[in-house]
Amino acid sequence: MMLSLILQQELARMQTTGGVGSPVTAYWPIMVFLVVAIIFPVLPIVLGRFLRPMMYSKTKARPYECGIDPKTEAHDRFTVRYYIVAMLFLIFDVETIFLLPWAIIFMGEDFTFTKFALLEMFIFIGILIVGYYYAWRKGALEWA
Amino acid sequence: MLQDNLLTILILLPTVGALALIGHGLFWKRENDYRWIALLFSVITFALSLLLLTRVGENSDAAFRFEQKTLWIGAIGSYYHLGVDGMSLWLVILTTLLVPVSILSSWNSIKKRALSFYVFMLILESAMIGVFVSLDLLIFYLFFEASLVPMFFMIGIWGGERRIYAATKFFIYTAVGSLLMLVGIIALYYIHQQQAGAGTFDYLTLLDALKSGRVVITESSAFWIFLAFAFAFCIKVPLWPLHTWLPDAHTEAPTAGSVILAGVLLKMGTYGLLRFNLGLMPEMARRFAPYFVVLAIIGIIYGALVAMVQPDVKRLVAYSSVSHMGFVVLGIFSFTEQGMQGALYQMLNHGVSTGALFLLVGMIYDRRHTRQISDFGGLATPMPWFSTFFVIASLSSIGLPFLNGFVGEFLILLGTWLSTGFSYNWVATMIAATGVIWAAVYMLWMLQRVVFGRIRHGENARLSDLNAREVGLLIPLLILMLVMGVYPRPFLSRSRESVVAVQQRVTKSTGAAGSFSVEVQENKQR
Amino acid sequence: MFLLLQANTTELYSLRDLMLIAPELILTVCGCVALVMEVVLPYRKSKWTAYFALVSIGLAAASLASLYFANRDLFPLDGFYGMLRIDGFAILFKAIFLIGAALTVAVSMRYLDVEGEQHGEYYALVLFATVGMMFLACGFDLISLYISLELMALTFYVLVAFTKREKRSNEAAMKYFLLGAFSSGILLYGMSLLYGVAGSTNLGEIGRSIGVALQPSVNELGMMTSGIPLRPLILLGVIALSAGLFFKISAVPFHMWAPDAYEGAPTPVTAFLSTGSKAASFALYLRIFTEALGGLRGTALDWAPLVAIVAAITILVGNWAAVTQENSKRLLAYSSISNAGYVLLGLVAGNSYGYIGIVIYLLVYTLMNIGAFGIIISLRRRGIIGDNVNDMAGLAQKAPGMAAMMAIFMLSLGGLPATGGFIGKYFLFGGLLQRGRLEEKSWYYWLAAWAIINTVVSFYYYVRFIKVMYLGERVADDRPLALSPALRAALVVSLIGVIIIGIYPQPFIDLAQKLITPLTAGALAFR
Repeated sequence: MMLSLILQQELARMQTTGGVGSPVTAYWPIMVFLVVAIIFPVLPIVLGRFLRPMMYSKTKARPYECGIDPKTEAHDRFTVRYYIVAMLFLIFDVETIFLLPWAIIFMGEDFTFTKFALLEMFIFIGILIVGYYYAWRKGALEWA
Repeated sequence: MLQDNLLTILILLPTVGALALIGHGLFWKRENDYRWIALLFSVITFALSLLLLTRVGENSDAAFRFEQKTLWIGAIGSYYHLGVDGMSLWLVILTTLLVPVSILSSWNSIKKRALSFYVFMLILESAMIGVFVSLDLLIFYLFFEASLVPMFFMIGIWGGERRIYAATKFFIYTAVGSLLMLVGIIALYYIHQQQAGAGTFDYLTLLDALKSGRVVITESSAFWIFLAFAFAFCIKVPLWPLHTWLPDAHTEAPTAGSVILAGVLLKMGTYGLLRFNLGLMPEMARRFAPYFVVLAIIGIIYGALVAMVQPDVKRLVAYSSVSHMGFVVLGIFSFTEQGMQGALYQMLNHGVSTGALFLLVGMIYDRRHTRQISDFGGLATPMPWFSTFFVIASLSSIGLPFLNGFVGEFLILLGTWLSTGFSYNWVATMIAATGVIWAAVYMLWMLQRVVFGRIRHGENARLSDLNAREVGLLIPLLILMLVMGVYPRPFLSRSRESVVAVQQRVTKSTGAAGSFSVEVQENKQR
Repeated sequence: MFLLLQANTTELYSLRDLMLIAPELILTVCGCVALVMEVVLPYRKSKWTAYFALVSIGLAAASLASLYFANRDLFPLDGFYGMLRIDGFAILFKAIFLIGAALTVAVSMRYLDVEGEQHGEYYALVLFATVGMMFLACGFDLISLYISLELMALTFYVLVAFTKREKRSNEAAMKYFLLGAFSSGILLYGMSLLYGVAGSTNLGEIGRSIGVALQPSVNELGMMTSGIPLRPLILLGVIALSAGLFFKISAVPFHMWAPDAYEGAPTPVTAFLSTGSKAASFALYLRIFTEALGGLRGTALDWAPLVAIVAAITILVGNWAAVTQENSKRLLAYSSISNAGYVLLGLVAGNSYGYIGIVIYLLVYTLMNIGAFGIIISLRRRGIIGDNVNDMAGLAQKAPGMAAMMAIFMLSLGGLPATGGFIGKYFLFGGLLQRGRLEEKSWYYWLAAWAIINTVVSFYYYVRFIKVMYLGERVADDRPLALSPALRAALVVSLIGVIIIGIYPQPFIDLAQKLITPLTAGALAFR
């Protein structure tokens, strides 16, 4: 909200000065975002550096793997099945992303949108089902 | 009906023959039939081409006969426009004559892939006829390029040892030239579009527009367009120093290929110069004339001198072509009626006599499988017929009076002498005239070493003389040499008006009327 | 209020919009069916999928034709809130893609048998890629264009890697994927900049906004402004867009991926990649650069010099690099690079001649290139790869028909008259000359001359194929070629197309002129 106000002010300023000015100024809300995004993670780290007590020990310096001592190199190759599962997960994850906003506006204030949305979403899910069926029959879901 | 579509029929008939050959090859596969079918179609084409003489009579005017005009690509204003006039008439007939002759000459020597050979030969004939009769620049370019491909194959498949090198060189050289010509053609199209509203590729429309001044090519454009055309044609001629592809191509090509190459393909260059460079851009032609004359004279002398030292008979004949074609270019750029008529006549002469020489070299090569001059000597004893023909063809090539070469060279030298297109024309004439002497030197020296003297190699004594087929295919050429040498009237009188039209177009605006009246007198005397 | 909403919402999905994309819908559904067929049918019946794909392409073509004949007087038609625009341009390009797809399927069948990879997914992927291309041709919005581009590109990444046991194929796919993704990013950056400038993703809107932004106007302080602050943004956007598109059409200096990808990919995919994908990228290029950025021609931000320089270098590099190649697929890849340069000339010309040239050339190029690759495919048999130029040695004796077809395709690629390639090149170069005459700038002439000179170089390597086939004595191997009825049919169809366009191009030119003219008018309206 604040940013859009800044943007509006900036635009107004540009118009009054005849539009002559760097186009970068129009983007400066984004610059603000960038600065905030940088400060947000850096600040806790820097603060932590000053606030926490500093005590080193050998145990602390070892690689941490859920409390178990690591047995292999960190750069290990995964079986290709992980990738297939990852891709399938991604696809259905994206499906969820699409389904959520659809579910929210599905009923809307009136029902004029419903027929369209229903049809649309069934086509979408239908295409996904074809893909799912294909992946299933191809054995992508079998682990062994 | 036949008369109205004669040119289309002439172009299509060999192609139809080629298709018939392919069909025959697919279904019957009888190797011995191919040459008969090819011969049949080419002879019919020759017979039909003689019908052209019916409308292009003696002393006929410069107009085009047998015209055909149909829209081809409307969007760019290109017409399928054919026509024949005095300039192209004899070149078409020369083509249709040389093709059956060269098919006969390859009767027994082409064994390998005979079907493809005759197919390419017939397609080549279509393309060559097309070049000489097309009156649309784009169609002309199309045929000009189309003649390239079959020739490439003929050299490349049936040629000698270095055939692939020679074929590639031939293809690249000529393709470069013709692409430049395409640029020139497109430029002309746009100039016409700019000034006359609609672009055109039609030669006659362009010529009319340029003649009447409706379309004027600015000097700088004309400079480049002229060069683009000239480059393409000079490679084809070939004019020194663009000739280097020719000895390779000739030496490696099969006999029939050499005959067609020398007899017809080289003429496309000089025909193009005459028709397009002079016809469309006369001012530039005048401006460039001195350079062309100098190059032509260098070509004459250079070709003769190099021919003299060749150890290979075929290479010698090839270099003599460079020399002879130099004469043709010299005649064209003399801008006198005599010179240009002589040039046209010399084109035919060269086709006939050099064609005959290549045929004879091919015949001896079939027997001895060598072309080195040093391997021969004293052939007159075992091969009297061969020797007689060889001597006559050589003398015709030298330009002995009563043989065809004399008429052409005399007219060219006379025209150069009378020329007002460039200064020091008498110097040019003198130097060019020495070319005739050089020709006598290298030809006679070669004859002495090949035909006369005593037999130095035992195997030459057992050579068989020419057989009936070989004599039969040489006889028409021999008759032509004699007829053209003694009675040139039927040839010159048909081409005269067309040539004069071009000549006047070139000389008209220079105010060179003085020399023109002299020429008229000369003509009356003749 | 209710009525108002009603009025709005009835437009949400009108049947008319769906009719406009009927060909694409058919192909999408058929693609899905093909995917299911793959898992339902046993391996030995996989070819049914191929025939099904051919039928579906035929159906799509029929629906495209009916779409054209029903609406040809109404063009351009906008659909889906201006996301799509169906006009002559779109119809023409879609037809080219369908032809390319049908030929590709036809030449693929035998090849996949030989490779032992006869899977239905292949045909489904080809169909999906075709859908992507077709949407590229009619997309009128940066978003729909980008999504269609990605649909096409993603399917191609998979197709390039389709022979999964081949190392070369995998390597090619990897390179193609990485560079393709990278270029998509650049393209997207350019699109976002354009959006930033114009405030809309609709190409027409962008065109108008840029026109307004560059309009010199006097502000209230009496100063002349001409969109100066927006200029760097527009410039950057144009450059980023161009760079992304140069990647897609494999123009120098972004051509590095093409030879590797073309060489490694399964040959039918190479054929489709070099024709369909390239033509689609050109459709995208043309659409954006005429409809959205056409107004920049003749201003200080003119993109023509940039495109012209790239085209000139592309022609040079493609042709000269092809000369030394030994692998025929790699050679054709470089030839494809140089051909991209030639087609760019049509864009530089930017007049109806140039556009006709682009369309005709892309059509002919699709035919002749798939034809040439079809011949190379026929050389691939079990144990013989056959993608070396010398593998064709003596083909004229072994298979005279195939050799003759290859020779004609090569001569057409070289642009010899009486072949389709000549007509295409003629219009491309002619467009440049016309433009040069109109603007009275000589660099157009020099560019045309440059292209023609380099065409001569291209003769050298095209003729090399002919040389090897006809002049070589040696027969590389005497085992019969891998031919199938479908492959033969595809080759014959390509050959007939190339020759007809070469000898009697009039109907094609007329059609192209009629359908492309609105685009030209649109591009010139800004001037």
